[in-house]
Amino acid sequence: MLQIDCYAYANRLLSVHPGEKAAFSLVTMIICLASPSPVTSLAVILLAALLTIYRAGVPWRPYLGIAAVPALFLAFGAAAVAVSFSGQPDGYLFGLSLGGTCVGVTPRDLGIAARLFLKSLGATTCLLFLALTTPMVEVVSALRKAGVPALFVDLAAIVYRFIFVLAETAERIYISQSSRLGYKNLRSGYISLGQLAANLFIRAYRRSQALFTAMSARCYTGEIRVLETGHRVSVKNVAVIVVLDLSLVALSLVNLP
Amino acid sequence: MAEYILEAVDIEYKYPGGTVALGGLSMSVEKGGKAAVLGPNGAGKTTLFLHFNGILRPSRGRVRFAGRDVRYDQASLMELRKNVGIVFQDPDTQLFSSSVLQEVSFGPMNMGLPRDEVLRRVQGALEATGIIDLKHRPTHFLSDGQKKRVAIADVLAMDPPVIIIDEPTACLDPRCRRHVVDLLDAANREGKTVIMSTHDVDLAYSWADRVFVVMDGALAGEGRPEDVFQDGELLERAGLDRPWLVEIYGEIKKKGWLAAGSPPPRTKEQLYDIIPDGRRASK
Repeated sequence: MLQIDCYAYANRLLSVHPGEKAAFSLVTMIICLASPSPVTSLAVILLAALLTIYRAGVPWRPYLGIAAVPALFLAFGAAAVAVSFSGQPDGYLFGLSLGGTCVGVTPRDLGIAARLFLKSLGATTCLLFLALTTPMVEVVSALRKAGVPALFVDLAAIVYRFIFVLAETAERIYISQSSRLGYKNLRSGYISLGQLAANLFIRAYRRSQALFTAMSARCYTGEIRVLETGHRVSVKNVAVIVVLDLSLVALSLVNLP
Repeated sequence: MAEYILEAVDIEYKYPGGTVALGGLSMSVEKGGKAAVLGPNGAGKTTLFLHFNGILRPSRGRVRFAGRDVRYDQASLMELRKNVGIVFQDPDTQLFSSSVLQEVSFGPMNMGLPRDEVLRRVQGALEATGIIDLKHRPTHFLSDGQKKRVAIADVLAMDPPVIIIDEPTACLDPRCRRHVVDLLDAANREGKTVIMSTHDVDLAYSWADRVFVVMDGALAGEGRPEDVFQDGELLERAGLDRPWLVEIYGEIKKKGWLAAGSPPPRTKEQLYDIIPDGRRASK
């Protein structure tokens, strides 16, 4: 989480208009999800990853580490899709017979699973591109400009801020517990962890009250109004995005099954 | 007669559950002054401050701002909060935004100022607090001292005539501490009234021109710092130490080093000035 955040603030695309990055991420993701061809999915994965690594300057090693988490998750999900049950044992690539039914993987299902995996990985890399190049503050401000309801946007902004406050609180509690041998064995570990969670919940609640008080003290009346910093829309960037995305569309049309 | 900007008249406040936080507290803060509020933990200092800003409403008694009773309708409260800014003790509960610029702009935006004016004020507040470089830094990457300055900038940007600051120097290193005190002095020189709560008797003694001692939800004593800190009985009751300047002054006076009638020193330099030269005395 913190790692993603660090890159979001220190990458070469930081000064680019958040709307452009969001548009690229979103449109590319839609193309990836809409196109039936795995070639498009592969192209999207490569495009988003290479842009993040070479254009935004996120080092490839941490990038792979960050991408591996959702990729692993997707792999397990896709694996479940590949497995099927059938009464007839023929046609299976490999499988085993349990009683009268056969559990296994057919080439057709394997193809579906692979396509699904690539498609979702493509969408994930698009999202990662946005997450690694755009600070949350700018994402929120782009959402606000896009007309997303204020309640949702304010909530997103505050949740984001307080993730860090609470993470820090949790860390402090954890350190203070372990310095008093709170995690010396499994049993006390569970007890300490439970107390940490309960404490964190209470603190979060009290923090929310304190925050409301502090905001009221500055004339808060129900809607968060803050200064938005302007970014200039770059015609060149928009052109690049249009060209890239149109090529992707063309690629998927050519590869229509 | 002195002009009072903020007054508490016999205010009483009970927390939900019945604990009495303030029990008939009265005090008046002079316009343009530097007031220090001292007292043990849980004495009701923060609760008192929340009354000055209209966040809490006394169950009995009145709060007065600039000679008029505070009213609690929405419009009057907004007016009061534009005039009385509070810097809270823990910046992490005050800073809600992940962007320093947006955080500091929140108050002026709520005041309904035009965009250019907001930007001008935010710039001004960030420059005054020396954190203009942090403008685009996310809040969660800041140190405690930096967060404190952002919290102060939050209020400076609203440009209120009264600034209340709760424990401004707690948890700060000496340099940050000096910087914060300088900031408050600068605001005071511009004519703002500054009220701080603190446990630091040395700071209160040298900085304030009026000291209020709050205990158990009531005013236990008030006066000029040189008077309050000579009142041994009051200090004892409130569990306050004597400032080191007062200690030393008392000691050298007792031992006959001082001419009768030399006033208690308020700063280190004043103390050095009143200590006679020993080499000349021994000749």
